Amino acid sequence: MIRYALAILLVAGPAQVLAQDSTPGLELWGKIHEVFSHPRCANCHVGTDRVPMWSGPEYGAAPRPHGMNISGKGADDGANYLVCTTCHSKQNSATPHGPPGATSKGVAEWKLAPVEMQWFGKSSAEICKQFKAKESNGNREIAALAHHVTTEPLVLWAWTVESERKPPYSAKELGKIVEDWGMAGAPCPTK
Amino acid sequence: MSRAGTITRRLALLGAAGVAGGLVFGFYYTEPFRVNRRLGSGLQKGQHMLTPYVRIDRDGVTIITPRADLGQGAYSIQAALVAEELDIAWNDIKVDPGAPSSVYYNARVIREGLPVAATNGRLDSIAEIISDGVGRFLGLQLTGGSSTVADSCNKLRLAGAAAREVLLRAAETQTGIARDKLVTRDGAVIVPGGRALSYASLAEIAATIAVPTDVKLRDERDWRYLGKPMQRIDMVAKCTGTATFGIDIRLPGMVYATVCANPNLGGALRSYDDSLAAKARGVLKIVPVKGGVGVIADNTWRAFQAAKLIKFEWGKAPYPASSAAMFRKVKASFVPKRRDSRCKNEGDVDAALAGAKVIKAEYRVPYLAHAPLEPMNAVVQLKDGRLDIWTGTQIPAFLVKTAREMTGLAADDVHVHAQLCGGSFGRRLEDDYVRQGIELAMAYQGHPIKMTWTREEDMTHDFPRPLAVARMRGAAKDRQVDAYDLAIASPSVVASQFGRLSLSIPGPDMAIVAGAWDQPFRIPHYRVTGYRVPELVPVSSWRSVGASGNAFMHECFLDELIHAAGADPLQERRRLCSHGPSSEVLKAIGEMSDWGRDLGPNRGRGLAFTLSFGVPVAEVVEVTATPDGERRIITIDRVCVAAEVGKVLDPDNLKNQVEGAVIWALGHAMNAELTFADGKAVQTNYHQYEGMRLHQAPRIEVKALETTGLAHIRGIGEPAVPPAAPALANAIFAATGIRARRLPLISHDKIRFV
Amino acid sequence: MRVIWVDGEPHKVDVEGDMPLLWVLRDEVGATGPKYGCGIAMCGACTVYVDDRPVRSCSLRIGDVAEGAKVTTIRGLGTPQALHAVQAAWIEHQVAQCGYCQPGQIMAAAALLHDKVAGKPPLSDADLDDHINHAMSANLCRCGTYMRIRAAIKSAAAKLQGQRP
Ligand code: FES
Ligand code: FES
Repeated sequence: MIRYALAILLVAGPAQVLAQDSTPGLELWGKIHEVFSHPRCANCHVGTDRVPMWSGPEYGAAPRPHGMNISGKGADDGANYLVCTTCHSKQNSATPHGPPGATSKGVAEWKLAPVEMQWFGKSSAEICKQFKAKESNGNREIAALAHHVTTEPLVLWAWTVESERKPPYSAKELGKIVEDWGMAGAPCPTK
Repeated sequence: MSRAGTITRRLALLGAAGVAGGLVFGFYYTEPFRVNRRLGSGLQKGQHMLTPYVRIDRDGVTIITPRADLGQGAYSIQAALVAEELDIAWNDIKVDPGAPSSVYYNARVIREGLPVAATNGRLDSIAEIISDGVGRFLGLQLTGGSSTVADSCNKLRLAGAAAREVLLRAAETQTGIARDKLVTRDGAVIVPGGRALSYASLAEIAATIAVPTDVKLRDERDWRYLGKPMQRIDMVAKCTGTATFGIDIRLPGMVYATVCANPNLGGALRSYDDSLAAKARGVLKIVPVKGGVGVIADNTWRAFQAAKLIKFEWGKAPYPASSAAMFRKVKASFVPKRRDSRCKNEGDVDAALAGAKVIKAEYRVPYLAHAPLEPMNAVVQLKDGRLDIWTGTQIPAFLVKTAREMTGLAADDVHVHAQLCGGSFGRRLEDDYVRQGIELAMAYQGHPIKMTWTREEDMTHDFPRPLAVARMRGAAKDRQVDAYDLAIASPSVVASQFGRLSLSIPGPDMAIVAGAWDQPFRIPHYRVTGYRVPELVPVSSWRSVGASGNAFMHECFLDELIHAAGADPLQERRRLCSHGPSSEVLKAIGEMSDWGRDLGPNRGRGLAFTLSFGVPVAEVVEVTATPDGERRIITIDRVCVAAEVGKVLDPDNLKNQVEGAVIWALGHAMNAELTFADGKAVQTNYHQYEGMRLHQAPRIEVKALETTGLAHIRGIGEPAVPPAAPALANAIFAATGIRARRLPLISHDKIRFV
Repeated sequence: MRVIWVDGEPHKVDVEGDMPLLWVLRDEVGATGPKYGCGIAMCGACTVYVDDRPVRSCSLRIGDVAEGAKVTTIRGLGTPQALHAVQAAWIEHQVAQCGYCQPGQIMAAAALLHDKVAGKPPLSDADLDDHINHAMSANLCRCGTYMRIRAAIKSAAAKLQGQRP
């Protein structure tokens, strides 16, 4: 029920402002956060209610929960209720507003990120903290994180759309930014 | 006197005589059912029309069901009316929508447009006679206005009874056994001793026997099908994927097409570049059509894809480019020059308000799209001087006329094959998509062409329900509602529709104030004024037409006044009610909804009442409003509906229609609006035009009253729509104190739905 | 050329890999049970099974359907002569109005019952409602037959559970 409140937070969440932080490390984090808070990424990095979000240019200014009462409760791939791949196939739909799709192992693959990787509705500081912490980042060092974002098919998928829905930078650039951020001491903003 | 006037008067007399005969003798004297040339010429060898509604051949009887089945069960109910009298077994019923013909004119549908309230006993019957006359004069074969049951109830039973009589006389001729010794059972004439002569076996003789001019109808008490739940005849096919909708037609040599027309509705096509599209796989021909371009290909999807490759330069729309600008036009129309009607004017509103504590409000409702799940489509073939059209339509006879005008063909060379409709809600009262199909067929002759719109084309080329603004003032006195002054400004649906036929409407458009001016409330000072906004976006009938939005405005502000008076919404409406059947409905809703029982915290109950299409309907909506920060998340828990329909022909289908009407109305009230930006509809698909989904659907309880009886039978496809939105808004007020004066309700920043 | 198995029959089709399965079925194979409603997985009218899993055929490219995969449409689920339990329940509850959404609704409901009810421990009424609310809300019915859909699923579920030993 607090989803709508969270949605407002996200809209207000000024990723760009953080990107202008004067500390070089924090500036780098700001760029990472730009990607993570992008609708294309954040919509499925949701919290404990396990409801993906609809936000982004095609949904106007106000993000809202995925329509049709979709829920990943009980199974990140939706299998407890309606498996995500009922609609999300291997490829992005060619029709505007059609369902995006992805694959890495030859079959359609679509699921929520684990709850400990919640980005949607979280502050930049919170996201940064959990991105760094091994218990919430898949037990990865910074180098492994950089590798992950440049090789994981589902991450790469984020950039496989036309420009208006595409997150900033590229997967490769993001990997480099993560690396540089690590070199700069991987600082996190305080709020 | 004008020609139309004379004819109307003569028919009026005829009609009155017919009614009297029926009442006095229990026999119905009718002019014999004429099977006109058009119906006769379409018959295959061995087929005979016993009446326009009963066709017979060696395989048995087929019932002709000229009213379109849009999902409301029209085929089943028409078949049941004939079968009841004709005496055939339910499982043997075969139906065919038949060829379009003026014989199938709708005697009832004009009724709602006349400025006579349904509660006006004496004038009501005259209005019905006028409606009959106009319908007959225009040969108005039209499905709409919840008129099918009211219009067909006697006609189709008579048709069945007359055909049965013909078959009995045929059996008499064949066997030499006297007519009065013969009975019928399940599609056969039974001779003494029990031998059964099937209707089919009597076909040839029956064809030679004149249709009797007087027949007796079965007494209601002896009904076998009517009045009981029936298995819809299309149900098995619809549940097994074997029903063929217009979009499912497949014919030898068929090609596929789509059309892209200017989304600035009514704007021209300035130029287009189809060089890429012409080279796309499967494209057969690219054809300019009115205001757009059609792509003919060997597969629908290939046509869709190729159409995306065309670069268009569209002309501007003739209306203001944005919804905001259009609402400004609406608001600027509350001026004497635009005054269209003031058919309700009781007491002295101005004087009553002069000394009182005046409550004021402004309400508004948006454009709404029909968006039936089956997008507009038509299969059309022009071959060797013969035009065939297969499509879902509410106006088959008009399509013949349209096609003749466009092609120059004779009526006998135009064949309309009406198809099952995947919803309509009024959309298929328009012929735009069929015109496009005809244009394509003329440009690419010799093949059936299935033209299908994309959902995006469908959403952006609708003839929506018009937007409207209401301004109201009112006052309470002595804990009672004392004065209610309501002014509604809206573009005219009827003028828009008539405009497309190059006609203008002679009088006021009652749709502008329908569901508001004609409500049976005895408020001492009560005035309803309609203002006609000059045409903006072309608009049309949307399930329950004017009442769909007006009821929200009328009933919510009445609720405001009742609250201001400190009265109870149900008791005050009952006190004000001036119409017996409506009072019964209000009484029933109070009982079934447990009105007055405490619902507990964060819950609320709202009532609304609307009399539309002659049917008084009261609805109570119960909601739970869960706090979520500043907002409330609304769950619609339960809806009760009480309606007076005269006589229920199929209780289960009635219930289904009411459930559907409630979901339809609540879904749109919750979250749907069609807005315009840059001259184009913004909402292109169901992600932006959601309506209700299953998890949001409430429990719905329905009670149909039959206090007025068979003579006052009415249809229920629409009348349950209007009161649902105001009942919901009133419930939200009861639960939260939030008074939402705009639809959709989510436009209020504190209201969201689960 | 590729071969696609629809309701147990092979069909040779010559189509580009990005044509959605829906249009291969409707215009090439002639299987018109699945309907076109939105083309973007927002209505469910086009639902079919590919290898027994429900998919929105409007949003699945034929090139992403494995060679030899088994496609089941509403007509392969049951026939007027041999109704599937869900179809029988739909008829018992007289669910359909216009009927255009119903092939998709029935395919979705049959999948739900197959996954959650058949051969499984009985669900409480509230749990069944929960599953219906989540699994069936992606199928749009403009005519508003939701109450009956719910009732029909429940009655089919009761029959399925009753049949278990
Ligand atoms: S047509 Fe596929 S979900 Fe609507
Ligand atoms: S029955 Fe008409 S859309 Fe569902």
